[in-house]
Amino acid sequence: MIELLKMCGFEADEAAAELPRIEKAFNRLGITAEDIERGKQRLTKYYDIELKGVRKIFRLCVLELVNSLLAREEGKKKVIYGFMSPGIELLGSAVVSKSKEVFSVHHSWAFQIIVGCVFDKIVPAIEAAEKKWLKAGTVAHCANIKTLVGPFALDLFPKPDLMVTSGFTCETSPKTIDLLHELYDMPVCCIDTCQDRELREYPNPTKRIVELTAKSLRRLAERIQEIVGFEITDDMLQEVLDAKGKFNAALDRLRDLVESSDPLPLSPTHENLWMGLNMFTLSIDGIAEATKALNTLYEELQERVDKGLGVVEKGAPRILAILPAGQTDPRLEYLACELGIAIVAIDMSFRLPYEEKSKDPYINFAMASQQHSIALTLSGRIPLIIEGCKRLNVDGVLDRFHVGCRSVAGDALLIKEAITRELGIPVLLLEWENFDPRVYNHEQYKRRLEVFKAMMIGSSA
Amino acid sequence: MWEERLSIHLRDRPAELLEAKKKGAKIVGYFPGNYVPEELIIASGAVPLCLANAGDTLPVEASLSAIPHIFCPFARTQVGERLLKRNPYYSMIDMLAAPITCQHLKKTAEIWEYYGDIEIFKLGIPHQHDNDFELEYYTDRLRALRARLQTLTGNEITVEKIGSAIELYNRMRELLRKISLMRRSSSPPLNALEFAKLNHASFYADPAFMIDILESAYHELRQKPSDTETDAPRLLLIGPNIGYGDYKVLELVKEAGGDIVIEEVCEGIRYYWHTIDNSGDPLESIAKTYLRDRVPCAFMRYSAKKRLDFALKLITDFKVSGVIWYELIGCETYDAESYFFAQRMGERNIPILILESDYGMADIGQTRTRIEAFIEMVKGGLD
Repeated sequence: MIELLKMCGFEADEAAAELPRIEKAFNRLGITAEDIERGKQRLTKYYDIELKGVRKIFRLCVLELVNSLLAREEGKKKVIYGFMSPGIELLGSAVVSKSKEVFSVHHSWAFQIIVGCVFDKIVPAIEAAEKKWLKAGTVAHCANIKTLVGPFALDLFPKPDLMVTSGFTCETSPKTIDLLHELYDMPVCCIDTCQDRELREYPNPTKRIVELTAKSLRRLAERIQEIVGFEITDDMLQEVLDAKGKFNAALDRLRDLVESSDPLPLSPTHENLWMGLNMFTLSIDGIAEATKALNTLYEELQERVDKGLGVVEKGAPRILAILPAGQTDPRLEYLACELGIAIVAIDMSFRLPYEEKSKDPYINFAMASQQHSIALTLSGRIPLIIEGCKRLNVDGVLDRFHVGCRSVAGDALLIKEAITRELGIPVLLLEWENFDPRVYNHEQYKRRLEVFKAMMIGSSA
Repeated sequence: MWEERLSIHLRDRPAELLEAKKKGAKIVGYFPGNYVPEELIIASGAVPLCLANAGDTLPVEASLSAIPHIFCPFARTQVGERLLKRNPYYSMIDMLAAPITCQHLKKTAEIWEYYGDIEIFKLGIPHQHDNDFELEYYTDRLRALRARLQTLTGNEITVEKIGSAIELYNRMRELLRKISLMRRSSSPPLNALEFAKLNHASFYADPAFMIDILESAYHELRQKPSDTETDAPRLLLIGPNIGYGDYKVLELVKEAGGDIVIEEVCEGIRYYWHTIDNSGDPLESIAKTYLRDRVPCAFMRYSAKKRLDFALKLITDFKVSGVIWYELIGCETYDAESYFFAQRMGERNIPILILESDYGMADIGQTRTRIEAFIEMVKGGLD
């Protein structure tokens, strides 16, 4: 275990000090000695753990998971969970920065990374959810939500004082917390928006939607205030937003470096680590620590770039991938790299360029929540993706669609049509599940990626 | 007699509308789900057309070039009909008012918008309605719809015109409700299939004509003896949607000797159960009734308990002895909710049968067997 913790960026002293807590948490998850060995192998195979920045991120992931599992028994008086709820990390960071008695977390991110990507043990949680209301089969329920319900069904995480989700792009998650309330007596809250943006309203933020979202967030803040017993001031939120601003700048800088470098300096398996880190509900000190990890990684990657080192050959076909990397399984991204395809970016990192700023942190957050690719309606998303393809000068697009998500899957076919028509580059349409490792089919994916690569080479020749 | 009049009217309706269109009338389509007020469309001088075709696999398959299989067959039908251009109603509209409800209809609206040759108005529906700001959002969107309809038709939509339209549709809803409530009787004068077809006719028929038909139907049905077997189990049907033409389950239940006496679906009870208060600001009245008063669909937040309570009330009021849960494949919210309803019905010893449909015929034999077995079981329970 100590060796694993060192691979995850723990210094020797810290690893020894944290060991009892981590063992307790891992025992609850059913992590065995065999799993630890597998975890070490997977860390070595799929991630650049020789990079200190990567190790630091893993350390934060482990701590986030352990803190979540042990929150109640370690004396946290109020526990708030967020799930697919942009905004809760803002409010959560504000309350955990103010009080040590409160714990707020987007707990499924670290669970997916550590239990899924590292230990390859996410399937029992998914299956536990399938025995409840998220059955397997043609209905195609989202496995992300299964990883929320499964751990509760298995009694892994403590029951929260509030479970928060959003309906920004999803109905299953709000319906799920509705049922968690009815069947598990869990206090719940859903923040909402309205996705009625019309083509004529792009590219500017749609004021009515921003205001609706901000009001919904304020209502959530009131609910959290009642639970934690103190006021969440705009100043507290602004302090978090400032810290997050530095984090986001570090992340953008890192992404810019990866996107613009040839050869690709880092495997795309790491993409979901950054995503996860962005969603962690860290205190202001924690956000600074996460920012530092990204800056460390940037410096290490810059060194690779300066030396001309990469994870694929220089000149390898450059592609944009639609949607983030596998959240519980790094194998598809690893395979792409192994086959000499450079996934240089994901469309999730594309944002509409809003210039407006408000003095109201809720308005600013609400604006940001409708800025990025998957928050846009189809007619807004397609031009953003096409513009991104041009800017990055990609040779092809991996148009993978998350089969459990109506919001993103519904765009996939027309994204392909539009890119093919407007850019004439190859597009590989791939049906998959971002959160369910059972869908991974090595031979099929390998064959399809090989053909895709050949098409890109042929196309550019 | 009224059946024949209605049948002729519906047969001639597309030609009649095309003729009206040539003379300058505007036709405004909308998707069902009870959030687009026909009142505003009528008040603008345009013709409202509810696009609710369903039950046919051809448009479902045709849609696969634009939308993946995980979408419900109803949403895919609305995409498929748009692509096939075979249905005169879908081809004649000048504008689509698309309610942004579940992800399925939201994406359908986006795909229509993407194709770009028909004006689209997206009517945002807040998925919660307890807070005033949510009601205000919907009311504001209705104001925007009014403005868009005025631009489309060139006609001013006055408060008086909206008031008249509310009166018209309140009458329609009252009549549908009265006819539906006749099925509380121990010998209902019409079955679920007949009621569904009557209700669906109101989506396409001229509203004034339809009111006349409903008046006639109501008076005639009051005199009509029941043709249902007296020992037929009385059933409640719950589901997202029974679209125009999606009659397979209704037919199978009837053939198996069951009697669906009430339906809790979007194109049914949620529409006609409430009338609109016509005394205050008409847009605010419409908004309140459409968003707050009606039974929420499953996509609405915190709706499971409200919907369960309403279903239990229907079970009591209509003396129901079993529930048929009819969901469309891919509908994630109803599928999740079916687990909760099955649990709660089970606790009350109310039998429930959960059926799924993709409009295909491949599973018809299995569905028939399941329905027959269920009805036998419910009958046994009655003994």
